Amino acid sequence: MKKSVISLFVCSALAAPAAFSSPISNPEIGVVLDGYYQSGERQLSEREEGFGLGHTEINMSANIDDKFRGSLTTVLESHGDHADLLIEEAFIETTSLPHGLNIKGGRFLSSFGSLNNQHLHEDAFAERPVAYRNYLGGHFYDDGVSASVVLPTDLYIRLGVEALSGQQMSAIDDPSTVGIYSATATFGGDISTASSWQLGFSYLRNDNGRVDSFGDHDHDHDHDHPHRFGHDHDHSHSASVTGKHLYGMDFVWKWAPNGNYKYQNLTVSAEWLRLNDATSRDYKFEHDYPGTLDAFYLSGVYRLSPSWSVGARYSEAEDFDVKMYGHYPYFKRETEREFDLMLAWNSSHFGTIRGQYTRAENQRHDREDNIFTLQYVMSFGAHGAHAF
Amino acid sequence: MLSKWLKPATHNQQSRFAPKTLALLAIFAASYALPSHALNVFVCEPEWGALVRAHAPHANIYAATTSRQDPHYVQARPSLISQMRRADLAVCSGAELEIGWLPMLQARSNNAKVQDGQSGMFYASEYVAMLDTHDHVDRSMGDIHAHGNPHVQFAVKDMPRISTALTARLVDIDPDNARQYQANGIRFRGHWHRQITQWEEVAEPLQGLNVVGYHGTYRYLFDWLGIAQVGDLEPKPGLSPTNAHIHSLAQLGADAVDLIVYSSHQDSRPASWLQQRIDKPVLELPLTVEGDQSLTEMIDIVIGDLLKQTGKQTHLPVQ
Repeated sequence: MKKSVISLFVCSALAAPAAFSSPISNPEIGVVLDGYYQSGERQLSEREEGFGLGHTEINMSANIDDKFRGSLTTVLESHGDHADLLIEEAFIETTSLPHGLNIKGGRFLSSFGSLNNQHLHEDAFAERPVAYRNYLGGHFYDDGVSASVVLPTDLYIRLGVEALSGQQMSAIDDPSTVGIYSATATFGGDISTASSWQLGFSYLRNDNGRVDSFGDHDHDHDHDHPHRFGHDHDHSHSASVTGKHLYGMDFVWKWAPNGNYKYQNLTVSAEWLRLNDATSRDYKFEHDYPGTLDAFYLSGVYRLSPSWSVGARYSEAEDFDVKMYGHYPYFKRETEREFDLMLAWNSSHFGTIRGQYTRAENQRHDREDNIFTLQYVMSFGAHGAHAF
Repeated sequence: MLSKWLKPATHNQQSRFAPKTLALLAIFAASYALPSHALNVFVCEPEWGALVRAHAPHANIYAATTSRQDPHYVQARPSLISQMRRADLAVCSGAELEIGWLPMLQARSNNAKVQDGQSGMFYASEYVAMLDTHDHVDRSMGDIHAHGNPHVQFAVKDMPRISTALTARLVDIDPDNARQYQANGIRFRGHWHRQITQWEEVAEPLQGLNVVGYHGTYRYLFDWLGIAQVGDLEPKPGLSPTNAHIHSLAQLGADAVDLIVYSSHQDSRPASWLQQRIDKPVLELPLTVEGDQSLTEMIDIVIGDLLKQTGKQTHLPVQ
């Protein structure tokens, strides 16, 4: 008797949420599968030559209660015979603060730039532009807190600040615990029914980003420049070159006939990044002192039909190499360039097969590479909405 | 809040301009004390804008999409986030129709009022007897929704239930204007019930009509009027029409199909391809309201167009 009462209670408790649940289901669990074959390897890339698995993503997110939302994104990466489980995002955020405020805590993709806080599977190309791979480690996520506000104006204005650990973008052995502070301002609106724009300004201060001395801390690695982390083969997610100040400016423009994105649409995006104080000012009299380094990309993607899209992208990133002659550093400023062409076929909204050709110019190794990639990115389960 | 602003102002200007200032402040205070501001309503599709306007004529209504846009494929663009930020109420079809963009707007808007489960988020499909619900959903079946067909703007019979629920929601959000919302709701439903009788009478010749459609956009309308959708230009929901599929539709034969129908936001070519093979009339129907049209006008147009194109009746009785 008692048992049946309990089971009745349990049943009704389980049935009740279904009856009142909103039409958008909760929690959402989604998996992104990413595999490829490529004929070469791009600089600072996570993808090796030959067959491989890319960014296998498992995402879970749900409202925790009426005040908080939580999201977890793990990434499985396989390198040879072992696999790494990375936590890319694990954060909670508020959903009920007044005045358009939002506070987020945990690990999350930084809001720096326009591409960075989007997941890799949303990209139109197989790799992040070389500008991002050099200065942000492809996609920069970190532990910390962020606060943002969306102003109650017709023009979209979002202001955000972040305080992050900065461990991934540290150039020194004993970094401070809160290494990175960032601020972003994003604006946007519609030009007409058919087209929309977004313009963003970002600033990131990296207290551990500047290299103060060379030669002394050649601790374990076999590379000759201690400020570098993501050298060619360790598939690190850290930035290749860091500095004290990183500035960013980004612009996105999208167009579709009558604003109907289903059949045809065009996305043009560009970002410019500037890195200041990559090394200590003690070296500013040295040859080619890397005081300011610039990087940018410009990309255009056109959807020809619901099934086909084509795209082109050009990206450049300035970097520097340092060689020690006794106590004297010799800097060599270098520029990496990449030009990509992409053709993608969508089996549906959830499956993409992409072919990409990259012409890469690497000054350091004085090489020009032609790389072909054939890749699939497909998802099942819940598929989160994409950002602009 | 108000007293904070009043005190320094009255104090500073006390000496000479006190009466004038006080008068101005009184006007300011009065306008502040009035229902603070017109309700800001964000609608995912224009039909819900028409519904809200019938209930809350003074509301500021912002429609995220137009009749030329496929509501499945909308960009979560900055302008929509800023409109969502200011919304007191968001009205959408729900049943996962907007799943590709609405959750992003809710999250990015930082607006507590329009989150799921709050009174400021209204899904029309929650008040509709849903058709084509599925216990088991697999994407190999195409882009289908477990909760059923989400194109509920044509769920004519359920519109009064949506109106009742919307009225209650408006009253909840803006109790100062409760009477107005209730009166408008009653008026809307009374008018709608009379319309249903009239529509059913006028549309009687459409019963038994066999239609090839494009997506399940008119599922509720066809179900109500006794029209059969015998084929779909899409091989599966959300997938683009293919030549092979059009060919298979042509196999249905000319006798099995009376009419080919597509919607204002869709590519017209697949309908013409089929027309070339089976020589049946093609009709573009509106997806939703245009401009300031009411929901009544939208249904009038759809029924009128169907009657005209099928030659069942050449004129509609004057409304």
